[in-house]
Amino acid sequence: MASAAISRGEILYLYRSLLRTARQFCDYNIREYTKRRTIDAFRQNQNLTDSLAISAAYSDGKTQLDVAKRQAVVYSLYAPTIKSVMEAKSI
Amino acid sequence: MALRAAVLHHIRVPVQTLRLKTNPCAPSGSVRLMSSHDDHLTKEEVVDRVVSVVKSFPKVDPSRVTPEVHFQKDLGLDSLDNVEIVMALEEEFKLEIPDKEADKIDSCNLAIEYIHNHPLAS
Repeated sequence: MASAAISRGEILYLYRSLLRTARQFCDYNIREYTKRRTIDAFRQNQNLTDSLAISAAYSDGKTQLDVAKRQAVVYSLYAPTIKSVMEAKSI
Repeated sequence: MALRAAVLHHIRVPVQTLRLKTNPCAPSGSVRLMSSHDDHLTKEEVVDRVVSVVKSFPKVDPSRVTPEVHFQKDLGLDSLDNVEIVMALEEEFKLEIPDKEADKIDSCNLAIEYIHNHPLAS
């Protein structure tokens, strides 16, 4: 990863891509975990100022996005047959 | 050949008329799936639903949400929250907002306008 500054737009784009990928998981728990983990990680790093630290966090996020994309496909092959009780419209 | 003829002579396959219980191609009542002409959202409905999505966002003080509110200037949210709100609106209206458009939506007004003009919003 070059040390060129990462623009605000690129970071927001990565954030949105991760949240979009999170929505693709069939399993409620994994879907919610991925979303929660994305939000937490961006919040944790939102005050980074060092450009090296920012690019390290950014490239880590990119790797995680690739992992999430791949796992969304893999897990779709083993989708749970019953929905989580959390997804029930009314109890 | 003789054997084949003998076998064929003795075997009888009962002929049944295949009849489907329901005809899948028939129009099902008044529900027209995939049709974008019916039930287009009214402006009031879009306003109500957008406001309620924004109000239900955890960091937002519900009493300060109006249809004209600006997410970052008036509600004290940041750009990450802005992305989350736009994603929540996508889920509410079953839309996929392209990134370029999503970046521009930074207030209730713009969100309402975009969703109201979107042909697939539901």
